[in-house]
Amino acid sequence: MKLIAGVDIGNSTTEVCVGMMEENGEFHFLSSAARMTTGTKGTLPNVHGIKAALSEALDRAGVSPEDLDGVRLNEAAPVIGDTAMETITETIITESSMIGHNPSTPAGAGDAVGELLFLEHLQRGKAGIPYLIVAGRQFSYEEIASCVNDHIQTLDIRGMILQADEAVLVENRLEKKIPIVDEVRHIDRVPEGKMAAIEVALPGTTIRMLSNPYGIATLLRLNSEETRMVTPIAKSLIGKRSAVVIRTPNGNVRENILPAGELRFHGETEQRIDIDEGADKIMNALESAGKIRDITGQEHTNIGNMLRRIRRGMEQVSEEESDIEITDLLAVDTLAPVEISGSLAGETCMEKAVGIAAMVRTQRLPMRQIADALEKELHVHAVVAGVEAVMASLGALTTPGTRLPLAILDMGGGSTDAAILEEDGTVRTTHQAGAGELVTMLIQTELGLHSRVTAEQIKRYPLGKVESLFHLRLENGSMQFFEESIDPRYYGHVVLLTPEKMVKIEEDLPMERILEVRQEAKKKVFVKNALRALRRVAPDHNLRKIPNVVLVGGSAEDFEIPEMLMEALSEYRIVCGRGNIRGTEGARNAVATGLLLSYIGDGNH
Amino acid sequence: MVVNKPAILIYGKDPDQDFLKEILAGIEEEGVLYSLEEAEGDLDTLAFEAANASMLGCGIGITGQRIAMQMYRLPKGHNVFELDTPRFWQCRNLGANSARAVKKMPFKPITGEV
Repeated sequence: MKLIAGVDIGNSTTEVCVGMMEENGEFHFLSSAARMTTGTKGTLPNVHGIKAALSEALDRAGVSPEDLDGVRLNEAAPVIGDTAMETITETIITESSMIGHNPSTPAGAGDAVGELLFLEHLQRGKAGIPYLIVAGRQFSYEEIASCVNDHIQTLDIRGMILQADEAVLVENRLEKKIPIVDEVRHIDRVPEGKMAAIEVALPGTTIRMLSNPYGIATLLRLNSEETRMVTPIAKSLIGKRSAVVIRTPNGNVRENILPAGELRFHGETEQRIDIDEGADKIMNALESAGKIRDITGQEHTNIGNMLRRIRRGMEQVSEEESDIEITDLLAVDTLAPVEISGSLAGETCMEKAVGIAAMVRTQRLPMRQIADALEKELHVHAVVAGVEAVMASLGALTTPGTRLPLAILDMGGGSTDAAILEEDGTVRTTHQAGAGELVTMLIQTELGLHSRVTAEQIKRYPLGKVESLFHLRLENGSMQFFEESIDPRYYGHVVLLTPEKMVKIEEDLPMERILEVRQEAKKKVFVKNALRALRRVAPDHNLRKIPNVVLVGGSAEDFEIPEMLMEALSEYRIVCGRGNIRGTEGARNAVATGLLLSYIGDGNH
Repeated sequence: MVVNKPAILIYGKDPDQDFLKEILAGIEEEGVLYSLEEAEGDLDTLAFEAANASMLGCGIGITGQRIAMQMYRLPKGHNVFELDTPRFWQCRNLGANSARAVKKMPFKPITGEV
């Protein structure tokens, strides 16, 4: 009787599978487990993760670690995925020339123009000049209202800008109805004495005058040249509920195009492409370069630094830098809400950005070192056995209903790998950059999330909105009711329904928006990559010659990606679905299972 | 015919006037109506009865310097928020939250630093 473990080290997850060979040659699978990969794939820190996963699996099988007779590691493909994001435009406000945000309760409605005057200087005001009053947090709503009421007969007061969230309170106490914008955080930066225009939208609508260059021109009496200058201001105010535009002689909102740099593809032909051109053109250039030897970026530019960073991360697994080559790249267009520099109330602007996943190849990964370390620490015989893609194919074949020739699509965290196993045993494989991690990054940037963990959870779990203390509205429109009341902290929030508990999304984002971003990110990365990868391994590069595809890997466990792919591949008459390794494991554990199967096949017993 | 107006009910027993004023300001800023009544009972009872009598399903109970916010159909004693000798901003946000409960908007923070 022999106890054998298969270990698969992935970019983000380490999976193990434990099986037993009986004396009579019969083989049983006992248990499996998965843990986070510790450190970069293929490096010594991986050993921690392997040990943790192993002891979990052995525990589940009810055997002690001493009984383990051998460990089989996969010869991991020497490719590592990495992602980076680069914004290519940047908006800068000079001289505080606008306020545009979404306070929850501004007051009044309509637009007004006047000279900015601080509340403490109200007595300096002159009759006949229209004013917009600016009041800081140090004044209470009652003080502000009574102060303004005292002067409302003598001064022409047209509107107000407040620091505290008290617009409605002030408005209710004023003798005259005027538009009031509140929650302006940096009120001290508002330049007194300048002309400004203020606008508050009617409930349920967004501003009309200040989001239109000619509207600003009308209110502030601008000439054609000045109107051209305020166009970026109008653009960044689109969709806001309230806004202030201040007329400053040199004030401006500028959109800078950052020197993002040039990508250079070294393949059968040399191709160069500017990052600004967008993802589609970058991918076309990659396609026309043919088989890629290496990809570099222009020196001293953002893209150059970005690719250098990715290479440097790989140096620890390879002795020489010359060994490291970037062999594939996936570029995705995205928009990122970035706080405008020089903003008064935390305004953001949607900046253009490009997300990039790169695939780095080294000569080989030091897997033998890992095997040696395991032998030393666990006192078992550890071997590096079998190529990853072949093992994954073997494992995938245990899915009920499959036959040869079989294509697998292994969608992990760092890369999307495809392999095709022909009836005669030949295997063709490819590794494509871009998988789960890129999706997480896209979700994080597009929604402007502070934490990567939240983005990761948005990717994984369905959404709901807590509409009352007793029910949730789910993302598909159905409702879920609860016996016990929901914790009031969740009230009115969008939540993620993880298996254990609800997780609140701190950022104030509508559920529809999160849903849209999540699904778009998955389509942009996985559907695009699946077609790209399968086409590369398909006989004659013809997708129709692939009869069936089994989806494996962490991202195949996702609740919507397999359906998206099924839809996309049904066009080519491909049978495609989530794998079910050994009929029990779902899409996980294919490589680890394959390693044990290859042990039986080797006839080691 | 007696018509109840759609309002958040506040049942008070010797309420601290400064706290009360802040709570009312919080509700007003959110644009919801309120109605104030003198009542007898302990804090949990006041909040519970206010929530059940309110057409909007949201009530606040105040006894001296203790404040509780309650919502319709929650069991008595299961107050959504409860404050004891709070600071002014906490009262303001509790008032705002009672209005936000009606508007189905996320609550403002009520504990911790401003």
